[in-house]
Amino acid sequence: MSTVVTAQGVTKRFGQTTALDDVSFTLTENTIHGLLGRNGAGKTTLMQILTGQNFATSGELSVLGQHPYENDEVLAGVCFIKESQTYPQNFQVRHALTAARLLFPGWDEEFAAALVDDFQLPLRRQVRKLSRGMLSALGVIIGLAARAPLTFFDEPYLGLDATARQIFYDRLLADYAEHPRTIVLSTHLIDEVSNLIEHVLLIDRGKILLDESAEDLRTELVTVSGPVAAVEQVAANAEELHRERLGNLVRATLRGRFDPVERDRVTGLGLELAPVSLQELVVRLTSTSNGAGNLRTAGKGDPR
Amino acid sequence: MNRVLPATRVHLITWPTLLAWPWGILLTSFVFNLVLFTGIGDDIEGGPQTGGLVSVYIVTMVSAGQSITQFFPFSLGLSVTRRTFYAAVSLLLLGESLLFGVMLYLCKLVERATDGWGISMGFFAPSFLNSDNPVLQILIYMVPFLVLGFFGIFAALVMKRWGISGLYVLSISLLSLLGLPAVLITWQGWWLAVGRWFGDQSALTLFAGWPALLALLLAGAGLLTIRRATT
Repeated sequence: MSTVVTAQGVTKRFGQTTALDDVSFTLTENTIHGLLGRNGAGKTTLMQILTGQNFATSGELSVLGQHPYENDEVLAGVCFIKESQTYPQNFQVRHALTAARLLFPGWDEEFAAALVDDFQLPLRRQVRKLSRGMLSALGVIIGLAARAPLTFFDEPYLGLDATARQIFYDRLLADYAEHPRTIVLSTHLIDEVSNLIEHVLLIDRGKILLDESAEDLRTELVTVSGPVAAVEQVAANAEELHRERLGNLVRATLRGRFDPVERDRVTGLGLELAPVSLQELVVRLTSTSNGAGNLRTAGKGDPR
Repeated sequence: MNRVLPATRVHLITWPTLLAWPWGILLTSFVFNLVLFTGIGDDIEGGPQTGGLVSVYIVTMVSAGQSITQFFPFSLGLSVTRRTFYAAVSLLLLGESLLFGVMLYLCKLVERATDGWGISMGFFAPSFLNSDNPVLQILIYMVPFLVLGFFGIFAALVMKRWGISGLYVLSISLLSLLGLPAVLITWQGWWLAVGRWFGDQSALTLFAGWPALLALLLAGAGLLTIRRATT
């Protein structure tokens, strides 16, 4: 599979703060990427730079084969839906959709109309009078109907209710299956999208913490629970991300090579083996208070 | 691939507002002038010459500024490059200026035909703006739209890029640019010569020639400002 985005040592500084610190990664064509991380981790800044809306302080960047800054050819194939998108004051919903139709070469008018129905968006209402959820729905509709080869969704569904979010996931998956494209989804509702995401990019304090396929992560990460001694034995061959203790019993979140053989060994020791949700992983990796990226540091507190 | 036209059409989606505000306000100004001078204009030699026309220019400047504040973040968010956006805004302003120039010319024809709306009023073509050549007359109407429009665009971009302090710096620079020559002229006692120079200029050079140069400078300044402006 080919690469649609390559970032090499991308750094962004705002005065004294470093928003992105020597970030390198690639995005694979026709894959749904999850760009995860805490508030202020640098997700939005990264997406702004990838879409030519902001400038990197240093580093190399290639989007759809070229540098995105002021590049009409590249940007015609890019759609960036962000929570903070503003619309001209006198625009009604239908005006915003017309603008999107004019600007995105891959725009599908029928699909847009179907989505407007799905989300029950009033076409003649002024955009600034939409509720937060409806405003998000408008962004989601534009992002989906644009059918851009490279689509970014940055917290696309602030204020959307559970039903509307499910509609978004369903339509996204169905349309993605018919019209494969590269999608980057940034969200805090990690559990909800964990089945959608094929590749995980975890960013924390401007650094890439994790860049792996969701499938690899599923085999690498386990929760092991049982007597201390046995858990210690298993943990010796793995990274320990977190540990909870209840009397004599220990529950540890581990990252390592848990292939079928190793899994058999673990269960053979009388330990209970459970998968780790993506959300739990993200919480474990990013809840360290002293310096990001120290995977061995145990997490603080339970996520739930 | 040319995205300038689509980016321009985005501005035209709500085109009625582009027409309604400037011309609505011009019409208001016209009606007030008409009523006012119908009452008191009898004894003015050569008929009343009004400056009411300036209202349409001011509104156009404001609306050009709004094409930045409203549409720049929106367009950039929809994957338009700064350069393309700027070309679109410039094209829009050019079209608007030409259209308004022609419309004003038509109004002038009516004004002439009705002998100044029956009271010899010079509203659309006050004597100092007059040219007998239609093309030149349209140019005289059109170019000031470009100057004020590009000024509005430039000021709004300064605001976008450097915030409110940028606007203050711009104001101070403008004041100095106008004030320093004024001080110099006063100090050297050149006012008479300056007045004579202005008097010697035709309406065409005064309202279309020199302003065209100014519009070009302002357009260039705007282009330089937008290059690294972020929404």
